[in-house]
Amino acid sequence: MSSQKYSFRSFFSSVRLTIALLILIALMSVAGTFIPQQESAHEFMSRLTPQVADLLVWLQVFDIFHSYLFRVLMGLLSLNILVCSFNRIAVTRKLINAPAFPLPQGLLEKMEPDRIILADISQSDARLKLEAFLKKRFGKIRTEEKAGTAYFFGERHRFSYLGVYLVHLSILVIILGALVGSFFGFEGYLNLDEGQSAQTVELRGGKGSKPLGFAVRCDRFLVEFYENGAPKTYRSDLSFIQDGRIAKQGAILVNHPMSFEKIRFYQASYGLSSQSRALLSYTRNGVKEKNIAVSPGAVFELAQSKDTAMVLRVEEDMMGMGPAVKLSIASPRGNVQFWVFEKLEEIKKMNPQLLEQMPLFNPGIFEPYVFNLNGMEEKYRTGIQVVSDPGLPIVITGGFLLLAGLLIVFWLSNRRFWIILDQVKGKTRIRIAGKSNGKQWATEREIDLLLFNIRKEIK
Amino acid sequence: MKYSILFGWATFIYFASFVFYLFRTIVGKDIWGRLATIAAWIGLAVQTAALLLRWKASYDLGIGHVPLSNLYESMVFFAWAIVFLYLLLEWRNAQKTIGTFVMPVAFLAMAYASIAPGMNAQIQPLIPALQSNWLTTHVVSCFLGYAGFTIAFGCGLIFFVKKIGGDKTSATEEATGGWTKHLPSFDNLDRLIYQSTALGFVLLTLGIMTGSIWAHYAWGSYWSWDPKETWSLITWLIYAIMLHARFVRGWRGQRMALMTIIGFASVLFTYLGVNYLPGLHSYLNG
Ligand code: HEM
Repeated sequence: MSSQKYSFRSFFSSVRLTIALLILIALMSVAGTFIPQQESAHEFMSRLTPQVADLLVWLQVFDIFHSYLFRVLMGLLSLNILVCSFNRIAVTRKLINAPAFPLPQGLLEKMEPDRIILADISQSDARLKLEAFLKKRFGKIRTEEKAGTAYFFGERHRFSYLGVYLVHLSILVIILGALVGSFFGFEGYLNLDEGQSAQTVELRGGKGSKPLGFAVRCDRFLVEFYENGAPKTYRSDLSFIQDGRIAKQGAILVNHPMSFEKIRFYQASYGLSSQSRALLSYTRNGVKEKNIAVSPGAVFELAQSKDTAMVLRVEEDMMGMGPAVKLSIASPRGNVQFWVFEKLEEIKKMNPQLLEQMPLFNPGIFEPYVFNLNGMEEKYRTGIQVVSDPGLPIVITGGFLLLAGLLIVFWLSNRRFWIILDQVKGKTRIRIAGKSNGKQWATEREIDLLLFNIRKEIK
Repeated sequence: MKYSILFGWATFIYFASFVFYLFRTIVGKDIWGRLATIAAWIGLAVQTAALLLRWKASYDLGIGHVPLSNLYESMVFFAWAIVFLYLLLEWRNAQKTIGTFVMPVAFLAMAYASIAPGMNAQIQPLIPALQSNWLTTHVVSCFLGYAGFTIAFGCGLIFFVKKIGGDKTSATEEATGGWTKHLPSFDNLDRLIYQSTALGFVLLTLGIMTGSIWAHYAWGSYWSWDPKETWSLITWLIYAIMLHARFVRGWRGQRMALMTIIGFASVLFTYLGVNYLPGLHSYLNG
């Protein structure tokens, strides 16, 4: 036994290991929420020395949930569950096939007097009634006859012993589904302007791009806002184009994805398209010069000089202060960059010192020109999440198995009842005993109910 | 009547109920227990009415939705779930003194919802991601689960209060002396801890599942390891550890009581603490 004690199988069948693994997984998860992960780690990493950052990257500290260590722990847990389940099969089988007769030791001896019915009807009469009643109650009953005594046996939820297996196997099923998804699926995104179409998607995590095998076109994008400015709905009308003709058309909204060729398209986000234009104007020495419509990247020459302005950014809502455009002006005097806000007067009302504190926000910093943003000609682009996950049905199945298993484990138990019919002192005697795996109080209550009903039955 | 006034009343009645339960625990007279239970039921009825009125009010504003959509509404629902589940358990188990340790949590949740800084009690329109029926099932099952863990936590506290009070009775004995004598026996506490934890565990499992389904529809990924998801998994693991320790290693009493407290801390962190962690949900950086 002692050499067996440390064997592979007994190591993996120990619940001590389960608890250790679950604690480790929990601790790693905690770390994964306190240490910035993936994209959000860049900022944090830039504050470290390159050596430390490299070491931490090598240790996969910034991608804990996809790290080798995390996967190994999951693998060990799966092995643990498998071995445990195998080891229990024999025990479970014995429990399920436990013989109805002879009665378990001590059951009759411990019988309390209020579990005994004495009746004035004949034994054969009682037997008929009892049998009919028990059949109705338990479905299937077993009987035995010995020395003038009749024994009946009925039980409930014999297969509740399998609940624990369902729970544990469901965990394996979920892990399997997640694996299938990560090996055979992909997650990418698409940004489309109205009228634009794409045949490839960018994969998440900078893993390159993937051809879809068909084209997706955004025919229309719509966004509606509540009075408080929060988005109410946004939706994209999409066309899926295969072999040069439209194979499917429809709209996606948040919470209402659409699928085509087993690939699902989700309305994920939206933003200003690079075709949006800002309506700029400027004055020179207070004299109105020009109105122009510009999009990001546009370059224009300032009136009355050779200086050129370039539009670096066009923002619909810059830091909560409304629409803004960032300009960069190149001139022999040097290079200046600054923001032009549409609602500058309102912002200045809230913070009169703004222009002194933030020269970057001063639209007149390139004297003698003063710029004005008069509004936006907004065009949106839609952000679409593109997903293929063949593991999903497996994960869903696992989820339902888990729930079913838990319900069985916590609310059902195998309850076994014996009803014994014999004759004492000229009276017919019925005794009831019961036994269960766990939840003895529920068994006791059921026995009381049985007593009550049998009394009524044989009256 | 306006629903906010009714929420105020419910808060007050829950406090009264707590005081009655406290009297029941200290004095031992049954009448206090009965008053406490009646007060708790009345408080629950008032709060239910308030919830329904708020629900209706949101429709009158033209932005109708179930009142479960922001921190304020979830906190109020948390209090409702605690009282609801506690009263069910009390009705089934006829243990009156546990309310002394459960009702204050409900009262505090209501009070926190109404006075905490940064709490927005206004009815707000739903952003598109929240416009889903899965939101309702998700929030309801999560918070009923949290309520189950809260009751287990209350029982865990009683366990330690009894120990501190010098209660040296064996597991099944009812205490006869000392100021803790009206509290449930250690054995009863143990059973209640198990029952409410098991209930909480099933409901949390359901909550995580419905949450994943919702995430799947909303942003195409049923699990993205964002802090809230991860912490719900951590909480789930803690209770799985607790159940195994009980079932397989035979933990009872004090160790289980300690686990209820660790588990409850994790519940609170999952609910409130994660808001202070770095990281955004993946759909925001698409
Ligand atoms: C995340 C993974 C797991 C979950 C969610 C889980 C869940 C459960 C649940 C809910 C129970 C029933 C407890 C009760 O009846 O109150 C249970 C029992 C049990 N689990 Fe696990 N379990 C997990 C992993 C494991 C592993 C890896 C093992 C392998 C050693 C294991 C071994 C057992 C055993 C032996 C029982 C007792 C069954 C009985 O006596 O009826 N579990 N588990």
